Order: sequence, then C-alpha cells, then structure tokens
Amino acid sequence: MKRRKIILASVCILLFCFSCILQAQESTDSGVNWGGYLQSDNRLRLKDGDFSWQEYRLDLKAEVSPSEKAHFYSELWIRSWGFSEVQNSSDLANKDKISPWNLDLREAYVDLYGFLLDNLDVRIGRQRIAWGTGDKLNPTDNLNPDDLEDIWDFGRHLASNGLKMSYYLGDYTFEAVYIPAFTPAVLPRGDWASALSPSMELPPGLTLKNLTDTITIPENSIKESSTVGVRVLKNFLDYDFSLSYVHGNDFFPLAKKIIFTPTDMPGDVDIASELVYPKRHVVGGDMAGTIYDVGIWAEAALFFPEKIMMTTDLTALGMGVHESTALDNEPYVKYVVGADYTFRNGIYINGQYLHGFIHERGKDNLEDYFMFGIEKKLFEDTLKPTISGGVEVKDFKDFKNNYALILSPEIAYYPVDNAEVIFGVRWIEGKVTTAFGRVKDNDELYIRVKYSF
Amino acid sequence: MQKITLTTILFFLVAFLFICQSGELNAEESTLTASQILEKCDDVINAPTDQDLRIKLILIDKKGKEKMREMSMLQKGNDKRMVKFLSPADQRGIAFLSLPDDIMYLYLPAFKKVRRIATHVKNTKFAGTDFTYEDMEAIRYSIKYVPELLKKEENHYVLQLKPREGVKTDYSKLVMWVRMDNFYPIKIEHYDKGDKLYKIMISKKIEKVNGYWVSKQYEMEDLKTEHKTRMMIVDVKFDSGLSDDKFTKRYLSR
Repeated sequence: MKRRKIILASVCILLFCFSCILQAQESTDSGVNWGGYLQSDNRLRLKDGDFSWQEYRLDLKAEVSPSEKAHFYSELWIRSWGFSEVQNSSDLANKDKISPWNLDLREAYVDLYGFLLDNLDVRIGRQRIAWGTGDKLNPTDNLNPDDLEDIWDFGRHLASNGLKMSYYLGDYTFEAVYIPAFTPAVLPRGDWASALSPSMELPPGLTLKNLTDTITIPENSIKESSTVGVRVLKNFLDYDFSLSYVHGNDFFPLAKKIIFTPTDMPGDVDIASELVYPKRHVVGGDMAGTIYDVGIWAEAALFFPEKIMMTTDLTALGMGVHESTALDNEPYVKYVVGADYTFRNGIYINGQYLHGFIHERGKDNLEDYFMFGIEKKLFEDTLKPTISGGVEVKDFKDFKNNYALILSPEIAYYPVDNAEVIFGVRWIEGKVTTAFGRVKDNDELYIRVKYSF
Repeated sequence: MQKITLTTILFFLVAFLFICQSGELNAEESTLTASQILEKCDDVINAPTDQDLRIKLILIDKKGKEKMREMSMLQKGNDKRMVKFLSPADQRGIAFLSLPDDIMYLYLPAFKKVRRIATHVKNTKFAGTDFTYEDMEAIRYSIKYVPELLKKEENHYVLQLKPREGVKTDYSKLVMWVRMDNFYPIKIEHYDKGDKLYKIMISKKIEKVNGYWVSKQYEMEDLKTEHKTRMMIVDVKFDSGLSDDKFTKRYLSR
C-alpha cells in the first residue's frame, strides 16, 4: 500500500513537471541550439614508441530554452575508441571489435526556474554537480563519481541521474541534491590503473598466479544506494564561502575479503577478493577571494568513513583466517589551498597544495601534492605555451625514497577560430612507493586536435 | 532721420534676448568644472536605468585579418554588468558578471562551475579583445578618477583623469574628449603605468535611441600590438525593467 502511494506520488510529480515544461514551451517559440566539438587525442610512449591512447570524440550538445522558466540541456559523446581488438577470425565479423566505439551520455537534464516558489530552481535528470573552489582537484566534490578513465583529465566526473534544488534567499544560496542510484568511479584505462593500486604484499614464499575479484554494488534502495547532499553558500566580507554535507558511498572499491587458494605448482596461489563500496559522511567547506590582487582558494573535506574489516582466508594454505582493518572509521581530512596570479606581461601562474589525492582514503594514507602551472599567450593569442607539473610526496622524512615528479610542457596553437592543436610531453620520475612513481615508465608525447562548432 | 518702426524694435529686442540667453549658456558651459563635466558625462553614459545589448565584436590584427565574436550584455545602473558569449563556438556560454567592490565571476560551461575571478585578471584581455576585464567593468568614471580640465576645443572638453587614491587600475591616466553639446565621450586615450599612451578608444555612430545617447560603435586600438577591436551594438533595449536577480550567480550559469 505504502509503495503504491510512493509510485502514485512520483507519477504526479513527474506529470506536474512535464506540464510545466509544456506550458513553458507553449509560451514562446522554441528553438534547439546545437553545438559541440570534434577532438582527436593520440599519445605515444617515449620508452618503446608504442601508441598508448587513441580517441576520436564527437561531442554533441543540444540546448533548448523555450522560456524564462525552463531549459533543457544534453551532451553526448560518440567515441571511436582505442585500437582494434580482433583476436581471432570470428572477431573479424564483429565491428565493435574491429573498430571499438562507444556512446556516453554525459548529461541530459531539465531546469525549471522559479519552480513552485520564485526563488527555487530545480534540475532534474543526468547532471554534473561540481562543488568546491579548488582548481580541478576538489575534496568536497563528492556527489558525482570520479571518471578517471583518462588519469590526466583531472576533475572529470561522470554525471549522475538525480535531482538538484537551489533556493536563493538574499545573499544565501541553499542547495539540496538527491541521487537515488549508486554508480562507481571509472578507473584509469590500461596500465595507468597501476598508479592507483599499490602492489600487493604476499606472505613469504608465495607467488601470485591468478587474481580474480567480485564487486558488491550497494543494493538499489533508498538506504543503501542513495547519495544526498546539502550546501549553503554565502558571500561574506567579499569572500565566497560554502559549507556542505554529503552522505553516500565511496566511489572506489575496497577489499573486504581475500581468499588464497593453492594451485598445482608449489608456492603459486590464486587470489580471489571481494570488494565493497564503504559508506561515508563528508562535511566540507570552501572559500575563494582575493588578497592583494592574488586569487586565493581553500577547500577542506572531513570524511567519516564506515569501518571495513578485511578477512584474509589462508585456510587452504593451512594458515587460518586473519582479520585486519581495511578502513578505520577514524575521521580524516583532505584539503587543498591554492593561488593564482597574472603578471603585467601576461604570464599566468597557478599553484595548489593538495593533501589527499582523489582515490586516497584513511588518515594514514593521504599523500601531499604540489601542483603548478605557468602559461602565456603569444602572437595575438594564437600560441599558448604552458608548463605544468607537480611533486608528490608520500613521506617527507624519507623524501628521496618517497617522491614523484611530473613535468608537462605543452604548446597550444589556435590557427583559426574554434580550432585548437595541442602538442605536449608528459615526463614522470619517481619511486614506486608513490602513485605517479608507479607509472614512471609511461612518459609520453601527445597531440590533441579540437574543433568546436 | 530714418523712422524706427515697432517691428525693428521688436527684432532688436528678440535678438538681444537671444544673445543674452546664449551668453548665459556659454557662461554656464565655460564655468563648468572638470568634475561637473565628468559627472555629466557619467550621467549621459549611464542615463538608462538598465540596458540590454547585443554586441558584435570584430578583432582586427595588424595585417587586417578579422575574427568575429558575438555577445549579449546586460547592465543595471552603473555598477552591475553581465556579459555572455554567443559565438564563436568554443567560447559560447562563457559568461562574466561584474558587481560592485571589484567582485567578478566567470562561468565556464565546460567545468559547470561559477568561478570567482581575482582582481589580477583586470588587466588581462577580455576574450582576446583589446578590452580588458577592467574596461568591461560597469563603473562611473567620476568614482574611479579625479578629473582635470586640460583644454577646451571647438566642440569638446579635454579631460585628464587620474586614478583616485586606493583605486586599483592598470592605467596611470586617461585623456578623454567629451562632446560639449551632449557630454558624450568620443575618444579616450589610455596610458600605461609608465605613462605611455598604449590604447585609444573611439566612440562612433553616436545616436539618440529612445531618448538616450548611445554610441553604436566603439573601436579600441592597442598601439603596442597594432591590434584593434571594433565593438558594434547590433540591438539595444533601454529601461526594460531588468531585475537585480539577473545580476547574480544564479543567472550567470543559465
């Protein structure tokens, strides 16, 4: 009975929303604005000359603003992706293997402005909700899952199907978000994934033969899979401040159980692991403003994670079952502080200090990152050389064994309006104890061509 | 002796009154201080309660090669301005909001985020044009500058404007030519911190629209780079009752 009432209420709300849209559409002449871009992205490994990335992306955006009260937006990626995956003759009849491609609905939502109340805006649908004042790395941006498919595209997230309400009261903005279903983060493609996964330490004398895992996605229910978030924003003394709270699941999986099974070869083991997405509460705050013409921002998120115990089952090896803490429920803080400045000669500099990278969690597992970028536009903005990079430090006390350096000089050329050609190099150096140090052999050249329409 | 007729007396009387009145006007004009001229100039530029403009920008490099931009601009009073780019495609949707007390926001659709802009960007080019973010701010000249009347030309006042104490600006001074008949500025020379002339803005096609004087074409030339930006007002609406809500972060991202 209760369920029927919920369904009936949902149908009524949906009908009401669509009637609002239709009513709005009738009020003015509606026209769809189309736009987008075509981008090719090719990367070449410096070590062996192999192509490591090939992506041809057609981005299509459609937008309609039939009235002052309604707005529709959608963005779709159509991608010809990677290299041929043909492995046998039967694959030659499969176009998806011959030339892999995919569709990615980045966003599709409807905005209803002044919905029920003059000061209330509602956004319904698949949407990106970007919180935080940091530059691309935002500890408080915890509503949409991270999309680390391209590990160098910092800040990219998947959109989520949900509802966002924004209420404006004087100088205050109140936001509330509800995302019913859980979507996990996208992990980096290919060998970049090793940046996020530290090597597994096995008991002495054992060698890993096969590794398999099963992932348990939170059950699709209000209690288990929903993400809720609230935020309040205010300008105070010419600085922008916000406070936020998010409750949901961590977007990165965590091993809850590991089972060791011996193989026919003495010393070789198969490992099967079970992964879960722990629940968490996140309280965040951020600010942005100016001090003596220098742009400054700061952002911090206090995480209250669910405690996850890990069971290591070695019974098949005659070593029993061990329990350890995979994730403690002790709160931890991730934060970022940054500044930027443009000199009179047009040189722009940007620097950030980040404590805790996107995938890092747990009080004792957060590393420090110093990121920077320098750029200047030349020749009437047709050329833009940039040098960006960063330093990762796992342990300041033993720096020389716990660091990684990233340096990426690139040059962007704008031959005509809407066209951009970027050529750059990514150079990584460091120790395998660090995230970027683990991919130090992946130095690469890249060339990206983009045309917007 | 020639007989003086009533008509002749009346003619001289009218002529005398006319001379007196125009003399009075000239006297008023000649007694205007630099501050009063600048105030009047501000009043003329900012006379409409609000403005809704559609603007075409042509960027011209020293070889004469042209690039086009289109934008819409809303202004309320003389301290709130919202600019949205309509073209080219790679800049479509970028929006800029200027509020009092040097508060500026930028909306970048690619990042789905409204970003606070620090004051250091004020001296950088606005979307590749020869106008800087500072030039795009909505602010009364008389609030920002101390004027000095340099000279009077046949039809213009020539004012020198120096920044008031505490005002953050990239210019050491401006020299402004103001029309005597309607107090509209027709030319502004911009001097850099080294007191060198580096940009000249010329207002053309000054017309009266709905009772307000407006320049339908501005041209800003950067003398260092020999680059020009022609700003043409394609469509203009005055006093359409724009609410304060239009000049908020809420509307910036729409």
